[in-house]
Amino acid sequence: MTLIAVRPGAGAARPYRFPQVVRRTVAGGQVVAAHLPGQNLAVALLLLDAGAGREPAGKEGLGGVLAKALEEGTAQRDATAYALAIEALGTELVTGLDWDSFQVSVQVPVERLSAAVELLAEAVRTPRLDPDDVRRVRDDEATALRMEWANPGPRADAALRADLFGADNRWGRPMYGDPDSVAALDVEDVTVFHSEWFIRPGTLVVAGDLDRLDLDALGAAAFAGTGGGPVERGGPIEVAPRPGRRIILVDRPGSVQSTLRLGHPSPHRAHPDHVPMTLAGTVLGGAFTSRLNHLIREVRGYTYGIRGDFASSRRFGRFAVSSGVQTAVTAPALVEAVGEITRTRETGVTEEELAVARSWRAGQLSVELQSPRAIASALTTLVVHDLPDDYHARLRESLLAADVAQVSAAAATHLRPEELTLVVEGDAAVIRDDLTATGLGDLVDHHS
Amino acid sequence: MPDSGYPWPIETTRLDNGLRVVVSEDRTAPAVAVNLWYDVGSRHEPEGQTGFAHLFEHLMFEGSVNVAKTEHMKLVQGAGGSLNATTNPDRTNYFETVPAEHLELALWLEADRMGGLVPALTQETLDNQRDVVKNERRQRYENVPYGDAWLRLLPLLYPPGHPYHHATIGSMADLNAADLATFQAFHSTYYAPNNAVLTVVGDASAAEVFALADKYFGALPALEEIPAAPDGRTVAGTGRPAVETVTTDVPAPRVYVAHRTHPFGSPGYDVVTVLATVLGSGRGSRLYQRLADGERIAQPDLVGAYGVDLAHAPAPLIATATARPGVSGERLAAGLAEVVDELASVPVTAAELDRAKALLSTAWWRQMSTVDGRADTLGRYATQFGDPAKAADRLPAWLAVTAEQIAEAAAEVLAADDRAILTYLPEQGR
Repeated sequence: MTLIAVRPGAGAARPYRFPQVVRRTVAGGQVVAAHLPGQNLAVALLLLDAGAGREPAGKEGLGGVLAKALEEGTAQRDATAYALAIEALGTELVTGLDWDSFQVSVQVPVERLSAAVELLAEAVRTPRLDPDDVRRVRDDEATALRMEWANPGPRADAALRADLFGADNRWGRPMYGDPDSVAALDVEDVTVFHSEWFIRPGTLVVAGDLDRLDLDALGAAAFAGTGGGPVERGGPIEVAPRPGRRIILVDRPGSVQSTLRLGHPSPHRAHPDHVPMTLAGTVLGGAFTSRLNHLIREVRGYTYGIRGDFASSRRFGRFAVSSGVQTAVTAPALVEAVGEITRTRETGVTEEELAVARSWRAGQLSVELQSPRAIASALTTLVVHDLPDDYHARLRESLLAADVAQVSAAAATHLRPEELTLVVEGDAAVIRDDLTATGLGDLVDHHS
Repeated sequence: MPDSGYPWPIETTRLDNGLRVVVSEDRTAPAVAVNLWYDVGSRHEPEGQTGFAHLFEHLMFEGSVNVAKTEHMKLVQGAGGSLNATTNPDRTNYFETVPAEHLELALWLEADRMGGLVPALTQETLDNQRDVVKNERRQRYENVPYGDAWLRLLPLLYPPGHPYHHATIGSMADLNAADLATFQAFHSTYYAPNNAVLTVVGDASAAEVFALADKYFGALPALEEIPAAPDGRTVAGTGRPAVETVTTDVPAPRVYVAHRTHPFGSPGYDVVTVLATVLGSGRGSRLYQRLADGERIAQPDLVGAYGVDLAHAPAPLIATATARPGVSGERLAAGLAEVVDELASVPVTAAELDRAKALLSTAWWRQMSTVDGRADTLGRYATQFGDPAKAADRLPAWLAVTAEQIAEAAAEVLAADDRAILTYLPEQGR
């Protein structure tokens, strides 16, 4: 026999280490850095308390328009000169936002980080925001969203979010807004949002070889000319459960797949069940060998992939399952997905499944935290959720310590299959009757 | 200018059965990347068997002699690892990054599917993964606007019979016709130690890896003969552009302009790489400045240009733009062609060149910033150019490109009469 039949065991485990974290207060702002000795690349990321949660209801997409407008010229130079200056350093200005924060970052060879942070600060703190430019950027953003909303997914996501959290609330509307909300923004919305949230110092996150970086100088550049302190961020939002399960059908004529988005509200990020809940989600829909992916992809062949998880921000969370399934098998795929969620709630997880989930999540803390960008992202988690420097080491310990009873209890408490909203975006004429016949819940047609 | 784009040690060996083993030790993090490049891709597929190399890649996760169905994924994730595989026209690669203490497990799994896949392959598995791949095709190519652009561009660029004529995902009809015996033969023909490179990067020494490689792969038999793919290095120009216009359910007109250039790894392609960055990467690029900003006929987020890094034939350079509301496909196509044409006539300035080189430097070091990025790079250079250490030459080669070379390359490979133009137009009433 040319193959070795016996599977090898693990070698001696190496100790886990997250890079050394350094915190400084500089010029009225906070610097949080990770030391990556020998790394040629460095990332600086300015974290502002200006996430989607800060946008007024009815003004969804404001942060996204402002993000683009930052690059349309500054007090010192026009848009073209700015693009050439920052790209000559080897980076673009990368912006992003989530419910809790707005992030703008640069990634360059380490010796260029200081110059890149100066340009980052120039755009964030002193953008020109010429009214004609802002209107053009707004129109481009509305067009970009229309393009994106032509893909399967965004309409289903919006229908799910609205049903879970209520379309009257900011958090019941799409994080990035929709084509209409963006088109309705005016110049003053953008300039006011900037003056309210983009002049406060915020936190500068740095990941790189700190022996070759001057954190005080980086902080001074990032926080120059800023003012105003932190603003109360608000506690967890009480989401009223909506009893009864229902199907929302979003029509996509001619679609060869149906897009599934199933979900219900779940706890916010600081909830004490965060770790067992994460592991329950991993067993159900996170790992490749999860219950959902195993059944719907590997046994049935209905899909290229299906996943489910608990996701949470500071103030709220949701459990959701997403997939694209072949049109002809939409109804059975939906029934079987709901079946696996129900089974997981009722009978919990097995030790064999949990062993994979906990080792995977723990191992990812070394395997996936290598690049400066990944480390910077891990640091933003510390800042946004007020976590200590040794958080990742502690998280690893709690993942590895979680037992079947805890994780099964989290599944029983936080999975609520009877309260699921089942959004299906597909060819309504073909799938409507099958969906009704599943008996999973009343079917409502979505009108957008 | 840096002397090297790869300032880490590289050690190589070749087992008696022909398996090349590449090791690059780096103790920074307690993780190790394992990467196998098999020198087989969709370019090897004969007519009527398109999509087989990629479907086969799926089958490699479904069990082998000592690994039960579904166990491969479970063992790697259960060890804390990340894993995947990709197939392209040139090659198929399989990779996992695991906490360092699980290196031996990863090598055992890779050896088992290199040497022991055929006996474990069943009709049931084939049928299931065929359905999965058909769903992949629906999800990535059929159910999204413009999703089939790559499928349409390849036959415009490469004639029938050329190894790059068809896309790796293949056709539904060929996938439906695939039978078990063909896949068993596919493995027996191409999956052998002397058609692969094993690369390990991270928290492991070369001596340790060489010993483990010999233990797990050393007894696998070499193949006497591995059939070559058709030779595609020379593609005759037709003297007129290949034009296709698709009217379909898309939200706005979009144009792709594509050219055959030089094979990845050649000096000519290094020039094309810098040229593509000047042309279409970032807000300072010519396409952005002219079409998104200047004339404002293109949507700013959807304008760009890039080379597709294929090594066995002249690789594609693709430039694309999507119309702003009220702009016709015709006007957009004219604008896009004009900017591409000007690369031969309007010299690239020092500032444009420096900008492109700075962006490429960052992109290179980003790829080098993880053990898995490095493993993939070394595997590529060992497979395609016979020596992983050649990876160190790429960044310096980009940084040495001159404006004159870019103008010459533009005149040589971007001629308007040897161009593929693919245009999408929205259906009437939209």
